[in-house]
Amino acid sequence: MTRVQLLDVSKRFGQTLAVDHVNADIADGEFVTLLGPSGCGKTTTLRMVAGLIDPTAGQIQFDGQAVNAVPSHRRNIGLAFQSHALFPHLSVARNIAFGLEVKRTPKVDVQRRVAEMLDMVELSEYGARMPAQLSGGQQQRVALARMLATDPRVLLFDEPLSALDRNLRDSLKYSILDLQRRTKKTAIYVTHDQSEAFAISDRIFVMNDGRIEQSGTQLDIYLRPRTEFVANFVGDNNAIAGEVTALVPGAPGEPSLVDVRAGRMRLRGLNPGNLRVGDKVLAFVRPENIDVLMESRESDEPNLIRGRIAQIVFEGPTVRVIVETDGVAIRATAGGLGRLTLLDQERRDVLLRLQEVTVVRDESAAAA
Amino acid sequence: MATLAGAPVGRERRIFSFTWLWNALAHGYVWAWLGVFALPFLATLAYSLRTPDGVWTLSAYQYVFGSFKENLLLSVQTTIITIILNLLISIPAAYAIVRAPIPGKSFLLSALNLSLYTPAAVMGVSLVIAYAFLFGIPQTMTGLIAAYVVGTFPLMLVPIIVALRDLPLMFEEAARTLGATRMQSFFRIELPLLGPGISAGILLTFVIVFNEFLVTLFIAGPGTTTAALRVYNLTRTAGFQPSTAALATTMQLVSFVVVLLFFRFFGSRYLKGTYLI
Repeated sequence: MTRVQLLDVSKRFGQTLAVDHVNADIADGEFVTLLGPSGCGKTTTLRMVAGLIDPTAGQIQFDGQAVNAVPSHRRNIGLAFQSHALFPHLSVARNIAFGLEVKRTPKVDVQRRVAEMLDMVELSEYGARMPAQLSGGQQQRVALARMLATDPRVLLFDEPLSALDRNLRDSLKYSILDLQRRTKKTAIYVTHDQSEAFAISDRIFVMNDGRIEQSGTQLDIYLRPRTEFVANFVGDNNAIAGEVTALVPGAPGEPSLVDVRAGRMRLRGLNPGNLRVGDKVLAFVRPENIDVLMESRESDEPNLIRGRIAQIVFEGPTVRVIVETDGVAIRATAGGLGRLTLLDQERRDVLLRLQEVTVVRDESAAAA
Repeated sequence: MATLAGAPVGRERRIFSFTWLWNALAHGYVWAWLGVFALPFLATLAYSLRTPDGVWTLSAYQYVFGSFKENLLLSVQTTIITIILNLLISIPAAYAIVRAPIPGKSFLLSALNLSLYTPAAVMGVSLVIAYAFLFGIPQTMTGLIAAYVVGTFPLMLVPIIVALRDLPLMFEEAARTLGATRMQSFFRIELPLLGPGISAGILLTFVIVFNEFLVTLFIAGPGTTTAALRVYNLTRTAGFQPSTAALATTMQLVSFVVVLLFFRFFGSRYLKGTYLI
């Protein structure tokens, strides 16, 4: 129903540029997450879409129409807050009815809609209760019912689950996704929790320092990080500093690769497209994408690295192995039954097979 | 085993007796002070219930609802109007002070509170001069109420500011995103949530204005004699009569009941840092 566009949107608070020329095009019905550490500008961006703060520059459009000048109460949006923000002096039913009442909806329709919403969040029996009499999860569900009652064009979520305990977070995030899928509304969700972002988004915008570092599907973000920040922020990653020695064109239909030398190690990984021979780079490989082989032969093959096990930590479902290689300690995780055979192998020479290596330009080396 | 179990019991018994003594002393101290404070009121109460011949009777109270009725009503009337005016002034002022980005806010707030620290006699003289020469409203009810508002609106302002500072902006934002205008959000969400702060302001204004005497003495004229002023006038002209004591006791009871009701319904949180607590 509603496409949301941010065109070169910036927000300055005094001397700080909280949001720095953000561009985003969010399709109708899409579920998008703004993911980033605190202070990265994600909440400020969301609040600009909500109309609670005005952008310093740039335009926000709903369905191609600028809404910069439209006050919050006429944007027809639903906003979920970090703490549920239920009105403490109104009953659950009156909370849900609030948005309809201020729009002068006939009483009969209000009652019908409130019942419908309570039913949807499975709290039909709770209409007469006060918010303080509900559990944290129930309160957040009432908040969802309240924001959906007015049939908003866009759903906005400002870390709605961060105040809840972990089990509740897990079940509620799927409730949110389910409600969004059923109502087919465009949704923008702000979080610093990557597991939340990965579980529910169609597309993730990773933000840092007021800018969007990378946007893409979960797989893009996780497997093909394009910047050092994204590689470090999302999931656990080994970073190996090196230099590009060759560009390797990919097979037809496959992405192109680069060869990287880091000390005696030879690595081959995905080319983000902007690298040249001689560039200082960081190669990233995730611990779960490293196989630990019980061999100690020399090898010229790229991504096959010799090392010696320095430490083994049993973590239950996985075993974490720290391997000393040529000057770099590389973390690998092993799962499955095979992990158990690793347990008493400390100090032993092994070969590491690195898979899904990604390469990004080393910004700090470039700056130096 | 027996010795191990026995040792702590002995120690506990010693602690118990010490605690008991301490509690007894603390209670005694508090009650003694309460007695000292309540004594003048109890004496007045006793005086109002006794004729000069030593007969205990409620007859003095017929004056309260007879010739003093007018004064009590005037006190109630001026108090209510003052409270309403204080509210109309203080709520927007509190909003401006808490929410608007004005420079020098804390200086402004201190300046607004100045009247609380002005000696009542100084205030009385100043107001008489101002009213007589500037506005031409000496000795009228308008003048009386204006004087009360000038003297007491900080008592309304401070608790509302405290309540507004405690109120997260989030509620207004939630209301606004749900489609409420600023006005709707204010009247339906924020005003009710400011209730405790506002009622604290009402209580403070009530206690001060209903019992105000010194400023009234300067400002009031014939026809604007409040209950407190009447007590003073009667004592001066007719000596101390049981009927005067009855009026004084009635005023005291009204104040008491209002304060007790307030604490019963709102507690004391919003009175912290104000005139009363």
